[in-house]
This record gives sequence, structure tokens and C-alpha cells, in this order.
Amino acid sequence: MLTREQISDGLKRARYVTNERVETAIFLALALEKPLLIEGPAGAGKTEVAKVLAEMLHTELIRLQCYEGLDEARALYEWNYQKQLLRMQAGEQQGLRWEELSEHIFSRDYLLERPLLKAITAPSRVVLLIDEVDKADEEFEAFLLELLSDFQISVPELGTLKAHERPVVILTSNRARELSEALRRRCLYLFIDFPGIEQERKIIELKVPELDAKLAAEAAGFVSAIRKLGLRKPPSIAETLDWARALVRLGVRELDTDAVRTALGVLLKHEEDRVKVESKASALAPRRR
Amino acid sequence: MAALRDQLVSFIAALRAAGVRISVAESIDAMNAVAAVGLERARMHEALAAALIKDEADRAIFDESFNRFFAAPRANRGEHPDQRGEQVSAASGRGRPGEQPSPRDAALASPRDEKSLSLPSEAKPAKKVAAARRQDTEKGKDAEQGKDAERLSDRMRGRRERGEAQTREESPTPGIDATRVARIRAIERTAFDKFSDLDYDEARDALAPLIRRFRIRLGRRLRLARTGRIDFRRTIRAALQRGGALIDLNFRARRPRHVDLVILADISGSVRYAAQLMLELMAGARGCFRRVSSFVYVDHLAEADFEDGHLVMTPALDLYARSDFGRVLGELWERRTGLLTRGAIVVIMGDGRNNRLPARADLVREIVRACRAVVWLNPEDPARWGTGDSAIKQYAREVNALVPSRNLRELQVALAAIA
Repeated sequence: MLTREQISDGLKRARYVTNERVETAIFLALALEKPLLIEGPAGAGKTEVAKVLAEMLHTELIRLQCYEGLDEARALYEWNYQKQLLRMQAGEQQGLRWEELSEHIFSRDYLLERPLLKAITAPSRVVLLIDEVDKADEEFEAFLLELLSDFQISVPELGTLKAHERPVVILTSNRARELSEALRRRCLYLFIDFPGIEQERKIIELKVPELDAKLAAEAAGFVSAIRKLGLRKPPSIAETLDWARALVRLGVRELDTDAVRTALGVLLKHEEDRVKVESKASALAPRRR
Repeated sequence: MAALRDQLVSFIAALRAAGVRISVAESIDAMNAVAAVGLERARMHEALAAALIKDEADRAIFDESFNRFFAAPRANRGEHPDQRGEQVSAASGRGRPGEQPSPRDAALASPRDEKSLSLPSEAKPAKKVAAARRQDTEKGKDAEQGKDAERLSDRMRGRRERGEAQTREESPTPGIDATRVARIRAIERTAFDKFSDLDYDEARDALAPLIRRFRIRLGRRLRLARTGRIDFRRTIRAALQRGGALIDLNFRARRPRHVDLVILADISGSVRYAAQLMLELMAGARGCFRRVSSFVYVDHLAEADFEDGHLVMTPALDLYARSDFGRVLGELWERRTGLLTRGAIVVIMGDGRNNRLPARADLVREIVRACRAVVWLNPEDPARWGTGDSAIKQYAREVNALVPSRNLRELQVALAAIA
């Protein structure tokens, strides 16, 4: 059992810059053994939480990426038809009766484990990331409920499989649609927004140490300013880091209007966003020509 | 510890009173969470938030309530947060929030104070709209209470200003997303007849996600049904993988249903917001129907279309004319060929207030006979149906369904049920 301080240390060691809110939520998810639902704008570091957590706990990360039309066969398990067929053909030649055969072909050996089943049957505690759960259909969400409250899954041919060790479950959502109250009730909740200037500066310094400290602070300030412009797609943290790396490669020493313009494509992925920022670049750039 | 438990229970009760939905299981989680993180103030704050608040939109209410219930001792306000935290934990540890009169006691002193939690003076800007509405509906209750509220709000304002500095340092960014969601939720529940132009603009903003949701809902219903004709070629192909065993059946994609939609919306003063929002919502879901014809009317019928989010009608109507649905029905009936067919669903949006002109309910009966269904959406409060110049009762006898749709939420539900 980890203490609250160990979580802080662990996150630091995993090089994840965070705040009290995130640390407390992670701690509770581990302490109360409850799933953690993380919401927030795209690119604010939601998925990263799960990755860092797995690294911190020295365990495997099992990831289920949700999409529209995701069904149980893709998420939970599927019978390995080909293998079953081969077994049946082999069985016929050996002259096995159907009763013997069916006992065989509906055993664990013929089961293709998909992420959810894998997480439940894992011998030790794993981190299960159910990414972008808002993209999945409502039916799938309802199906998740059984899993999240009891950590067990029923396979008709095999009976109920129960987790040896409850996995640490992280769900993320971008709010493409409202999640059901029932799902929310079963989870702890964490909202991760874009980091503040100070926090983003720390992230840049940690991940792109080559960048001059002063420049890093300016870059963080600039990104935070353009996020407030109401862009179609505000830059994510990953894009900020790419941009910081680009600045290093371009040998930028001062973040003036020209420097901002040259590498804007790393930060902004829509033409209208680029136009918007360029028109305001002179006002936004920390140092003017 | 019992004292702390009581305090948490009344804290949760206060949150519920302020409109946050909290289940029993969640309140147990909250207790466990506090037990796990201890009593240090900032940590307890985040722990309770993680267990109780499942929507960032509710966060503002939570922060404010928390500051009121678990206030830092007065002498230490504004000092370093860490220090402050320790002070509180010490105070709560004794099971008594200290020497100073605790705000919690004040808050629980009278039931009115308890109620004040939902008054606008309490709400943060994000929730202001919602709170103001709530007050709106309660406006008529009694003046005496109003004065009380005023006095209270004065007091609360003072308290809030004191608390504000803290809140700001603890939650650096309340989140743009959250405010937006809170606003959408508020506007969804606002009755159309209380709309102002400002509200209408806001509702238009909120419409985009609604359209998407609506379209997904319609689309899914079409996709879900795994029945119909088997696609022989694809089934055989899939079977080849399984050594020829027909395990997966593949079905032919269903063709879009043969539903024509005829929308008839009243855009005269009384219901124009509702009508415009409905037209826009349906314009977004156009792909789910074979054909959608939209009309608007006041005293005449005009074809309506949406171009870049603006309602365009041909010919232009005089918005201030006296509505005459009887005549409109006549005009519609004349154009019936190719329009009012067996596959058509007619959706009428209006309040049926006909200025005492002939209602022509007989024409509605004819239309019902010609079409698949006629559904009437009425943005008026059902209590007022049939009063004054409302002819809705006459129409109600003829149409297949008469559904109240007083706000965006009801409108969505009604439209989804039709489609």
C-alpha cells in the first residue's frame, strides 16, 4: 500500500509534473480500489496519467482504445474459431466423441483474450486504461458497469471469472457525449485542464532540458496565451513540447515575432487557427522587434 | 470522529440542496476518501472533490461549499496554505471547529439559510444563469422571502469576498470547458417563453453538440438492428476463414428509411425561439431522412431553409401579422401532391393560438389521413393549453400525438421519439 507521499515521489520520479489535485485523485484510486474517470480537453495529459501510473507501480499497462461500434468481442474475449476447427478435425480423426471434444474446445486455451479479460485474469495487479470511453456506444458503457463495480466477467461457457488482483482502472473521456450517471457514480472523478504557465514551464524544462530556461518560460507563456484565443484546436502539451524541440533545432535564441512565425505549424494544425495567431503574433510574442 | 462524520453528512446534504447529485455510495466513498488522505485541508478538499463531484461543472459549487463548511480559522486566513491546512486539521481533530463561531453553525442555524445555498448570490458566474432561472420561477412566491434573500445575499457577499482569495489560489484554472458545459445545461432547461435574444444566441451555441448527439441517436437506431436480408457474398467470404462454417452472418446494409419529414413551425413572436431552434436541430439531422421539407408560418406559409445558421424563408413573412393557422393549413393542403404522402411525418411546432380565427381542425384530420403521422409540439406550458384564444384542444383531437416541448431538453426528447 502506497502512502500519499510515495505517490508524489513516484510521480516525480516518473517525470510527470502535476499538482495536488491529480496526486490526491491517483492516491484515492489506489487506496479505495475504485476506477478513476479523467475528463479534460484533448492533449492535457489524461492518457499520460495511466502510463505514468503503470511505470510507477512497475506493472503492465493494458490499453483499450474505445471507438464507435466497439463490441464485447473486441473488448472482452472471442473464441479462436480457427483453432477450434483444427481441433475438431484432429479430434474426428482420433475418433473422439463430441462430448469430449466440446469440453476441450471451450476451454481457456481456445479463448482469445482481449484487453478487459486480460486485465481481469492477470496474475498480478495491472493498470487498465479505457481510453476515450465517450467514443464507445452507450451499450458498451452499460456493459462496463458490471466490470467496474465487481471486477468480474461472465463467460457463458466458462462461468464467472473474478480478478485475482483488482486492476487499477483509468477511464478517460473528451466529453464527445455525456457519460451516464451510473458510470460516473462508480468512479472517482478528476478533471485535468491545461497546465498553468508555471506548471507548463516545469514540464518543458523537464522534457526538453536543452532549451534555455528563459526561453522555456516565454514559450510556456506564449502557448498559454494562444490557448485563450478560442482556437479550433488549442495546442496540447505534447505539441508544446514538439514546438520547444523545434525551437532548439532552429537555434532560436529569442522568442520574437519572427521566431514565433517560423515554427507555428508545429503548434497549430488548422489553417484558420494559424491565421488567427499570426495576425496577433506581434501582440503575443514576448519580445518585439 | 463522529463529529467529523456528522459534518461531512451535512456537507453532502448542503451540496445536494445546491443541486449536485450525490448517491449514497458516493457519500460512503467520500468518508473512505477522507479516512485515506487524512485531515490536511487542501488534501481533504481534493479527496472529497474526487469522490463527490463527477462533473467539472459542479466544481464551482463544491469549492464554495467546501470553503464555507471547512473554513480555515479566522486568524489564519490569507496565510500560507500549508500552515492553514495544519491549523484546520488540528481544529477538526478536536471534533469542534474551534473557538470562533463556525460558519457551518451559522449555515445550519435556520432552514432559510440552508435554502440560501441555491440562491444566485451564492452561485459562481458559471452557475449564475441557472440560479437566476431558478429564482425566476420562484419569483412569485412571496416578497417577504425576497427581502430575506436580499439580506442574506448581502451577508454572503461579504463572506464570499473573504473566501475569494482562497478559492483563487487553490483552484488556479476553473476550466473553460466546465463553464461551457454548465451553461449548456442551464440553457437546455430554460423554458422557451422565458428566452431573451441573449439566451437564444447561447442556445445556438449549445446546439452544435446537441445536433451531434441527436444525429448519433438517429443513426444508431438504424445501424443497430441486425436483421434484414442476408448478404450472401460477404457471408460466404467470412465463412471461408472458418473452414466453410457459416458462423458469422452478414446482413445487407439497410437502406435509409423512407421517411419524409414535413416540418411546420410557427415563427410569430410567441414561439419563435422554439421554432427556430427546432428547425436548426432538424436541419442538422437532415441526412437521417429521405427528404425534409421545412416550412414556417405566421399568417401564410413560407419555405424555410438554413444557410450558415441563418433562417432563410421564401417568401418573406410579416413576423408581426396575426397568426392564422387555419389559412396556413389550407395553403399546405393545396400543395399536398408529392408532399403529404403515406411516408411523410408531419411535425407541427406552434402554440395553436389562432386569434379566434377559424381553426380548420377538419383539414388536420385530412392530413392525418393522408400521412403516416402528424405530431404537434407545443412549446407552451400544458397548464395554459386551451385557455384564451388557444385552439390546441381542437387540434389535439385530430393529431396522432401532442407533445409538450417547453425547453431544449424536452424538444430533443420529443424529436428523437418521432424519428
